[in-house]
Amino acid sequence: MRVLLLLLLGSLAWGKPVATPGWVRLVPPVLKDTAAYLTLENRGTTPLRLVGAETEVAQRVSFHRDHREHRHGQEVLGMRPLPHVDIPPGGKVVFRPGGYHLMLEGLKRPLKAGEKVAITLRFQDGTRLKVLLPVEMR
Amino acid sequence: MKKALPFLLLLGLLLLAYFLVPKGGHSFYGTRLLNPKPVDFTLQGPKGPVRLAEVREEVVLLFFGFVHCPDVCPTTLLALKRAYEALPPKAQERVRVIFVSVDPDRDTPEIADQYAKNFHPSFLGLSGSPEAIQEVARTFGVYYQKAQYRGPKEYLVDHTATTFVVQKGKLVLLFSPDKVEATEKVVADLQALL
Repeated sequence: MRVLLLLLLGSLAWGKPVATPGWVRLVPPVLKDTAAYLTLENRGTTPLRLVGAETEVAQRVSFHRDHREHRHGQEVLGMRPLPHVDIPPGGKVVFRPGGYHLMLEGLKRPLKAGEKVAITLRFQDGTRLKVLLPVEMR
Repeated sequence: MKKALPFLLLLGLLLLAYFLVPKGGHSFYGTRLLNPKPVDFTLQGPKGPVRLAEVREEVVLLFFGFVHCPDVCPTTLLALKRAYEALPPKAQERVRVIFVSVDPDRDTPEIADQYAKNFHPSFLGLSGSPEAIQEVARTFGVYYQKAQYRGPKEYLVDHTATTFVVQKGKLVLLFSPDKVEATEKVVADLQALL
């Protein structure tokens, strides 16, 4: 019984990622990159570090965060790649326009509105999480 | 006296209506330029040169961006699409949305235009020589700079994300990237201009 409890506690001490699907942005066929959005929650007790992602529809998936600065009194926007994304225990990271996004780089084919794109998220502790995101124009 | 009563009632209602209806000009949500600045440029469209002064529509919304921009640019262009579609058809005929590429090395006029038209078929995409783009950017006070350079085709561009409203050749109104998303307020501003 005690062993079982310890095992249970041991398993609770992991980072546990839960994804709430968002969407993949529909882009014109001339474009070879697009953005994907979702919410990642850590329901575990240890920090989670998102270190990579893969999808069959793109050559590479990277993480970006929007970058804002003011020049001549106007807002200049850009984005910066992130080597990884940390999600604290009990916390969440929202990927949404104007904040974080997953960038699907080098699309192998044009995506269609309504189709579902499978993306596998890789965490540092070896956890993998597969998410299905619909392609939408928004 | 009995005959006069309906007239008095009507007069009273009219007076009430007069005091209830807001008076004065429209209070703009976007940043109004106190001294509208004359602006003009000639860039390349998919069917040849396009001069701003020769655009048929009297109100032009200009947004500077680049095609390989999956997050910031579509957010604003989708906001402009929503605003444009919310205008009555008569007003739509007098408004034009133009996307100007600040990435002339990668975005040809055709690519810029295909990109713009993906958001709305009436939108126009323009590009041009690096010098021509630089000149237009200077006119509007637009900053753009390559960032995270990995190779001649692999880089990002930081750029001013303001939407510029030009009316009859003069820059009159600005929307910041946050403000442009408030469709109803943007539409009200555009209708006040028209």
